[in-house]
Amino acid sequence: MSGIMGYFYNLVVFPGGLFALAVGMFFAGIDRKIYARMQRRVGPPIYQPIIDLIKLMHKETLIPRTSNQKAFRLAPLAGFAGMLVLVTCIPVPGVFQGIGQLDNLLLILYILAIPAIALMVGASSSGSPFGAVGVSREMVMTIAYEVPLIIVILTIGIKAGNASGVLADFSLKSIISLQKETGSILSDITMVPAFIAFLCCIPGTLGAVPFDIPEAETEIAEGPILEYSGISLGLFKLTGWLKMFAVSALATVLFYPVPYGSHWLLSVFLFILKCLFTILISVTLVRATMARMRIDQAYKFYLRIPTGLALLSLVLTIFHVHV
Amino acid sequence: MSSYKIPIGPIHVVLEEPIYFQLEMEGETVRGVDIRSGHVHRGIEFLAMQKNIYQNITLVERVCSLCSNNHPFTYCMAMERIGRIKIPERAEFLRVIADEIKRIASHLFNTAILAHIIGFDSLFMLVMELREKIQDVKESTYGNRMNIAANCIGGVRYDISSEQAGFILNSLQAMKKPLEEITKIYLHNGSVRRRIEGIGVLTKDKAVEYGVVGPVARGSGIAYDVRADCPYAAYNQLSFDVITENTGDIKARAVVRIREIVESISLVEQCLKALPEGPTCLDYMPMIPGGQAIAKSEAPRGELMYYARTNGSDIPERLKWRVPTYPNWEALKIMLAGCKLADVPVIIGSIDPCVSCTER
Repeated sequence: MSGIMGYFYNLVVFPGGLFALAVGMFFAGIDRKIYARMQRRVGPPIYQPIIDLIKLMHKETLIPRTSNQKAFRLAPLAGFAGMLVLVTCIPVPGVFQGIGQLDNLLLILYILAIPAIALMVGASSSGSPFGAVGVSREMVMTIAYEVPLIIVILTIGIKAGNASGVLADFSLKSIISLQKETGSILSDITMVPAFIAFLCCIPGTLGAVPFDIPEAETEIAEGPILEYSGISLGLFKLTGWLKMFAVSALATVLFYPVPYGSHWLLSVFLFILKCLFTILISVTLVRATMARMRIDQAYKFYLRIPTGLALLSLVLTIFHVHV
Repeated sequence: MSSYKIPIGPIHVVLEEPIYFQLEMEGETVRGVDIRSGHVHRGIEFLAMQKNIYQNITLVERVCSLCSNNHPFTYCMAMERIGRIKIPERAEFLRVIADEIKRIASHLFNTAILAHIIGFDSLFMLVMELREKIQDVKESTYGNRMNIAANCIGGVRYDISSEQAGFILNSLQAMKKPLEEITKIYLHNGSVRRRIEGIGVLTKDKAVEYGVVGPVARGSGIAYDVRADCPYAAYNQLSFDVITENTGDIKARAVVRIREIVESISLVEQCLKALPEGPTCLDYMPMIPGGQAIAKSEAPRGELMYYARTNGSDIPERLKWRVPTYPNWEALKIMLAGCKLADVPVIIGSIDPCVSCTER
């Protein structure tokens, strides 16, 4: 398949759209189940996200009178669309190479911020004071976790650029092919701090404890999504599940895409397994053993530990490459 | 920076009961707080003056759920004081047992809720699982998990067999180890300490000025406990420590509660060991003559005081009580001043407010 039809297939079926959504929901279900088992609860069934979604689709969408109606309606849609584009351009090693024009890590970083921005737009148009607090917190969080994220991506870019003879190469295709030749990036000891920094950013982007500060149920009652109901809320949930798949897939592609199977089915299976592993260690385990941070504490945390680790890897890599 | 107002309540995830805090915010910082109440006023004081003295035992038990034993307990003590009734010694001990079991359940509940508020749901589940043990004790001893209906004028309405005493002792023994674990988490876990250490400070001077009681006072270094300072029931025959902490922050109050649970367990054990033989209640319903009396006891949240006036008829002339949350929530204004928005629910949770007691 090629041309428009090919892109459409990528957007709707694989690796974006249906595939990403199914995997994202599966991850969310597994996450909730294991979280529950860790607390000695039975927990919801793994297909609970699907039930949630069907329920939300049948609910009425209420729009507050004080809100800016257009922005309030469009924000969840924009976030979902942005996420859909993002999952389309993530390659599945051994199966899908990625889309040529979108094959750029920096671009992915930009698109990754769209759901957060959509959430901010939606919340600030809702006219709720809790939403306003949530927006300011979401903004601080985005700034905080993007700093280490950018440094990690820069480090990997420099590593890939060294192999292909340029200063920095942000193409996912060349990052994967580099690892195919020399082994996973994670097997390089100098990249372990960068990997830890990346793992620290995952709960931040997904809004999981201890970084669920913008939503903070017991403080500001879900803040930004407080006024949303029905399918609009469902769209935010969908965006969240897609994001869960996207960031874990990104971690897999950047740090351990190899080994992958000879058959495409095996490759997809291994890919999902690696993504699930990423989610379990960075989200489930962390949220079961920690309390929520305060926004100032989270900000300080991100600018100290993950940024420090990422910088360490960056310096080591530059040293390794250019000296 | 411009300021804005944010409502916490009357309906809010973190509040179990309706109360309205209007916070004046500057960014994330609280600049002023206005507490408004009256959402669960049910007119119980008025109702108590329509019912007869014995019906009121059932009524006052329903003022509040978590300290539901202390209300009838203190009410009965006030009435017995008017009638100069001496209750059997076994009843005195059984009253202490009922009270301490309710105290353990109440303190564990607050310890759990505090963990939930800071977003640590695993700790919440851990504490609630432990609380389930004491709920089982309540259910097997009194037949109820919440309103245990233990007291009556002239004694208690239940008895503990030696078999039941063995079950209670075993349950309490099984609670000791998990309790140590929870204490360790509250004292040393970094992610918990980050949210409770040095926050919502009430200094000793301010605590005296506002007249706070219970764990809030003891967390600020005031060693005031009605059980020790003004013993009632069988407390003068039992030995226990009055737990105090000096820092006056959320952690101090939480730690005071957890350590008091340990003391309560030891009190129940002492009671069961020293339980004298004899009747549990007078074998008649005493008439209450005209007169007035004050009785006070240490509820889980602090000093509970009852004033009763009778005129010889079966309807009390006046019944009035002062509950521990009443002085405590005024002190919230001190604790909340200048804190961050994220700390507000934690601070409110740390005084363990009982709104339905206070508004009745």
